Amino acid sequence: MIHRRIFAGLLAANLILLAGRSQAQDRAGAPVFAPVRPGRPLSFPANHGAHPDFRTEWWYVTGWLQAQGQPIGFQITFFRIRTGADTRNPSAFAPTQVIFAHAAISDPAVGRLIHAQRIARAGFGLAQAKVGDMDLVLDDWRLRRAPDGTLKARAGDQAFALDLSLAPTQPPLLQGQQGYSRKGPRPDQASYYYSLPHLKVSGALTREGRRIAVTGEAWMDQEWSSTLLDARAVGWDWAGINLDDGGALTAFQVRDEQGQAVWAGGSLRGADGRTTIFGPGDVRFVTRRHWRSPRTGARYPIARDIQVRTPGGPRVWRLEPLFDDQELDSRPVGPVYWEGAVRTDGGRGYLELTGYDAPLAL
Amino acid sequence: MVLGEWRAQPGRTLAAILAIAVGVGLGLAIHLVNRSALDEFAGAIRSVSGAADLQVQAASPLGFDEGLYPVLARLDGVATASPVVELRARTASGEPLTLLGLAPLRAAAVTPNLVGGGAVSGDGGVTTAEAVFDLDAITLSPAALQQSGLRVGDQVRLSAAGQSASFRIVGNLDGVSGDRALGVIDIAAAQWRFDQLGRLQRLDLRLSPGVDRTAVERAVQAALPAEAALVTPQSEMRRTESLSRAYRVNLQMLALVALLTGGFLVYSAQSLSVTRRRPQFALLRVLGLPARGMLGQVLIEGVVLGLAGAALGVALGVALAELALRLLGGDLGGGYFRGGRPPLVFTPVAAAIIFGLGVAIAVLGSLFPALQAERIPAAVALKTGSGESAETAGQPLPWISLGLLAAGGLAALGPPVGGVPLFGYGAIALILAGGVGAMPWLARGLLGPLRRLRAPAPPVALAIARLWGAPRQAAVALCGIVASTSLMVAMAVMVTSFRGSVEDWLIQILPADIYMRLDPGLTLDSEAQARLAAAPEAAAIEFRQSFNLRLRPDRPPVQVSARGQASTGAGEGLPLVGRQIRPEGLPVWISEPMARLYDLSPGDPLALPIGPGAQAQVTVAGVWRDYSNQFGALILDQAAYTALTDDAGRAEAAITLAPGVEPEEAIEAFRVRLPPSIAPGADFAEPREIRAVALRIFDRSFAVTYALEAISILVGLAGVATTFSAQTLARRKEFGMLRHVGVRRGQIMQMLATEGALLGAVGALAGLTLGVIMSQVLIHVVNPQSFNWTMETRLPWPLLATLAVVLVATSAGAAVLAGRGAVADSAVCAVREDW
Amino acid sequence: MPAGPPPLAPPLKIVDLAKSVPGGRLLFSNLALDMAPGEIVAIMGESGVGKSTLLNLVAGLDRADAGRIEIDGVDLSSLDDDARTGLRRDRIGFVFQAFHILPHLTLAQNVALPLILARRPEAEALKAAATMLDQVGLGGRGQDFPAQVSGGEMQRIALARALVHRPALVLADEPTGNLDPQTADVILALLCDQLRGSGAAAVIVTHSERAAAAADRVLTLTAHGLVAHGR
Repeated sequence: MIHRRIFAGLLAANLILLAGRSQAQDRAGAPVFAPVRPGRPLSFPANHGAHPDFRTEWWYVTGWLQAQGQPIGFQITFFRIRTGADTRNPSAFAPTQVIFAHAAISDPAVGRLIHAQRIARAGFGLAQAKVGDMDLVLDDWRLRRAPDGTLKARAGDQAFALDLSLAPTQPPLLQGQQGYSRKGPRPDQASYYYSLPHLKVSGALTREGRRIAVTGEAWMDQEWSSTLLDARAVGWDWAGINLDDGGALTAFQVRDEQGQAVWAGGSLRGADGRTTIFGPGDVRFVTRRHWRSPRTGARYPIARDIQVRTPGGPRVWRLEPLFDDQELDSRPVGPVYWEGAVRTDGGRGYLELTGYDAPLAL
Repeated sequence: MVLGEWRAQPGRTLAAILAIAVGVGLGLAIHLVNRSALDEFAGAIRSVSGAADLQVQAASPLGFDEGLYPVLARLDGVATASPVVELRARTASGEPLTLLGLAPLRAAAVTPNLVGGGAVSGDGGVTTAEAVFDLDAITLSPAALQQSGLRVGDQVRLSAAGQSASFRIVGNLDGVSGDRALGVIDIAAAQWRFDQLGRLQRLDLRLSPGVDRTAVERAVQAALPAEAALVTPQSEMRRTESLSRAYRVNLQMLALVALLTGGFLVYSAQSLSVTRRRPQFALLRVLGLPARGMLGQVLIEGVVLGLAGAALGVALGVALAELALRLLGGDLGGGYFRGGRPPLVFTPVAAAIIFGLGVAIAVLGSLFPALQAERIPAAVALKTGSGESAETAGQPLPWISLGLLAAGGLAALGPPVGGVPLFGYGAIALILAGGVGAMPWLARGLLGPLRRLRAPAPPVALAIARLWGAPRQAAVALCGIVASTSLMVAMAVMVTSFRGSVEDWLIQILPADIYMRLDPGLTLDSEAQARLAAAPEAAAIEFRQSFNLRLRPDRPPVQVSARGQASTGAGEGLPLVGRQIRPEGLPVWISEPMARLYDLSPGDPLALPIGPGAQAQVTVAGVWRDYSNQFGALILDQAAYTALTDDAGRAEAAITLAPGVEPEEAIEAFRVRLPPSIAPGADFAEPREIRAVALRIFDRSFAVTYALEAISILVGLAGVATTFSAQTLARRKEFGMLRHVGVRRGQIMQMLATEGALLGAVGALAGLTLGVIMSQVLIHVVNPQSFNWTMETRLPWPLLATLAVVLVATSAGAAVLAGRGAVADSAVCAVREDW
Repeated sequence: MPAGPPPLAPPLKIVDLAKSVPGGRLLFSNLALDMAPGEIVAIMGESGVGKSTLLNLVAGLDRADAGRIEIDGVDLSSLDDDARTGLRRDRIGFVFQAFHILPHLTLAQNVALPLILARRPEAEALKAAATMLDQVGLGGRGQDFPAQVSGGEMQRIALARALVHRPALVLADEPTGNLDPQTADVILALLCDQLRGSGAAAVIVTHSERAAAAADRVLTLTAHGLVAHGR
């Protein structure tokens, strides 16, 4: 899942932060980004906190809510981006770190996403990504880990606001090799990546001033990296599914221009806690149905079969979207992509499809 | 019948209409020009402030602590706070520029127009998007690009606050309209490159939708340190207006005076017309028209005159305003708004008001003639059949006029109303009305002695007899010109007094040989000061530091100067007004405008938002005369200033040269001793040049005033000419009779010339006298109340003499011109014309 | 008042006078009149026949198309405008239908006007005026202003003004036209009285038979000149 997130993250800072400043390496005062290497085990809660030496980092919460008996999908995301800004600038306003956040709900009754976003340079306590434990602030938006381990999330604007508690029910799921997750053919094309599936959700959803109590189940990804995607990549697909039996399925692929996988991966953690890590040859996304956005004209493969190879033999999950139009237009700060609640036999989760609106030149 | 009357008297009717049109036109033009200039100015402010709901501004360029930013950002009701570093900068070629340091992601939510095109505003804006967080990037407003001749992609080197740095131009600030030279860089770059770490000059706030604005304002206000002040668009607008309000009101009043002159001309025209139609009115009375009908008819004529004049005036006003904006710029030469030619803004409400005023004045001018028409005794008028009304031979009574004059005197004692000397202007109007009303009495009084002349030539004798015998007619002819002359004289005396006082003041306030001033943002540190002071060319150097300090949010800032040498106090050599004290605490010397605006006098304590805690306690030691800053200036000892603020930098110096040193060589020597980064930004001037520049600015700012006055004099003269011609026409039978009984044509012309000259002389005398009286109201009431400064009266004798001569000559000329037709042979037969 | 020595020349002599109006219509031609000193001639005629024009011609205020006018033996056509003005001032007195008294001058000043214009010393002029005012029945009112007097009194003042400088000829144009019949009779009587007293000849243009009856000779103006009235 470098994926979407990277794209959203990169574009959030308008590409230049990462891409445009490659020549910044030559300048005095240019930042040096930390590399992602295998064999560095993650420890918690320290790794719930921010890793400001790395270029990009995100905390990505997706899940299903029950609001007055109706299912509603939601996502709350915080990005931290380290910019190419001159590290010697002593100003408290020096834009070395930028925080971007994003929230959306998927209500079938509305038939499309309702979303909100925020962005600011870190500083003055108004925008921050704390080191040492999870505590993200962006004006009145917040995502933090309480002492009891519960995640507290608050986001929204005039149209809707989420105020949620997300209680972990399982230990963190370390993706890849103990959290070192490859995204491309080169070993440095990788991130540190762990997930918190099966978060028990309680709290409130406020819509147009009306506050409704909600419950549900969510999934959180935290991922940080300094590396670019492979040059051939134009987009990716990602899915994270909370299986009803307590298991958790993660699958992603990075696509080239022809729609072929440049890289793929994922994991399956069983109800018993045993985890299978997928390599590039273990995951396939098969499209059953497309949906074309009337706004952007982009054609998304929204109904997929995810085929994985497990030690117990191949398995297939047939994903169906909660509804078709879950396209998210986060311009001008982010890209246009599809990020939607999906269900499958024996599980519910989120599917992310990027790079279908326009090939993303990185 | 109305039309018939006017067709019979086209010249006079036209003059009255024109007079109203000129008054309305001038009034509207001045209003429109000011409105346009203010709109442009306010627009410029808006484009720099963006469209923030609220703005917190630093009291001085030193800024306030950036810690205020998160405090205000977290206040309930504040949706977003956008921190701003605001500096005055210059490009390498010396073009001035307002440099804003912004946090673009914040500014995008509060002041989107200040964020470079496309940075966060849409698709594909990747190139301009580079501006975001690029600490070496700058976006320039179209005006700044044009001024500097630079293009997107160029490097530009900027100096501000004594530092300089180079930036790459990455975009155009399309959102900044007009001629505002503006550059936007990242706030972190601004703080770092221009030595502003930890300081902000501004915080722009956007409020959450639907919050109680006043509650938020209160909360913001409560959170502010003394070095920052809350500014709302309203208070900003107020400040903008207060900048030029007094000047504007003055011009507006002058325009209304032109209108008043028009009113007097309507009075002239209508009086004559009523007189001429006495028999006709009498006939109508006999035929059964009630007296009220006469009144109504004349008033309706006034309304029609007024409507025609006012309509013409509105058109004239718009044209004049357009022309003035094109030729003089938005401040009409007043020097309040810099640069640019604002587009004309038409304000229908104001136009309607001025239009209505024009009509009202015309009706008012017709009221007396209308009452006169109502009172015409039918039988007598029918019987005499004379066009010229028979005036009673008794003494005209000046009581009403004396009453008006006395009321004027009382009104002059009144206080200003909302910063505008309304009572002062009322006093001028009353004195004018009283003076004009006293004209018949004055004419008779002045002509009385002439009647005792021994054996004057018959034409002279006839002229004197007529003027003495018909003073009211003289007054009718003269009222317009007396009004306009007296106002011109009042203005001229005031301006001369002002100019003289300014000249004296300039000599007193500039005692040194050379003055040096650095560009905004540049300062000399102690070392550079020592280098300059060590120059052998200088006998003594006094270093100074000036900056603007806002003491009240809705007032323009006062100028604070730190000056004085160790040996002498800062108060040394100031043109002090009134007493000076030696206070216990830190002494400051305040200017006269400041004393009046802030109601301070020697001994009063004052808190200045500078230094530790931004609350320096000082005491007023003295008040000095100042014409350079109408919003107040304050002087404190420079050593005390440094002790208070730690700011040892100085941007100005007054240099006394060593004996025998020429200013030019000294300036060269000083320039060499300046640090190379500062030398190009240093201006040296000799007091002589400064005085010349100051007086030039002074003269330019009063040029429009003179032009207005000249126009109203011309209107007045036109009134005299048309009235004379009307009166002369009405006297055709008299001339016919005189020709019969043996008066030569030339003698009649002589008689008319004498009448004209005498009338002109009476008018000039009355106008000058009234003018001088009114000038005292301007000098002692209007000026102190609107500009907060005082001056000493000086009379512009050459101008007054010229005015008198011109008046006498033009009236005589007008009378002769009017008489030419009336004494033609054919006209002589008029004795037998019947009515 | 004793009459002055009779002038040698006739006060008014008109020979072969012709005049057209500007439009070209002939008013009269071959008009002739010879007046004896002290003679009072009344001229009557239809409206528009040219009575007033005739008076203007005689006063030297208008030019004839042909013919000659002599006043006191002086041919008007030999004089320029200023000289004709001087002649009017010294030798002719005028009485107008509408009085034409200057409102801003006192009665005495009005009466003294011809003398003042002739640059006589003011004191003498005012004394003569006072005498004249006496004679027309307004003695002692010299300091009054015209606004304070009635129509009949106005014409008395006009009479006084016409005679104060002892003219050879008085030209009166409808002198009673603006007066009621009673006042008119009084004024007419006064006029004749004063004329005879001063020895001045007079031409009175009038519509009034009563006025005409007071004259020595009554003529009617026709297109062919002056003809004896009633014929």
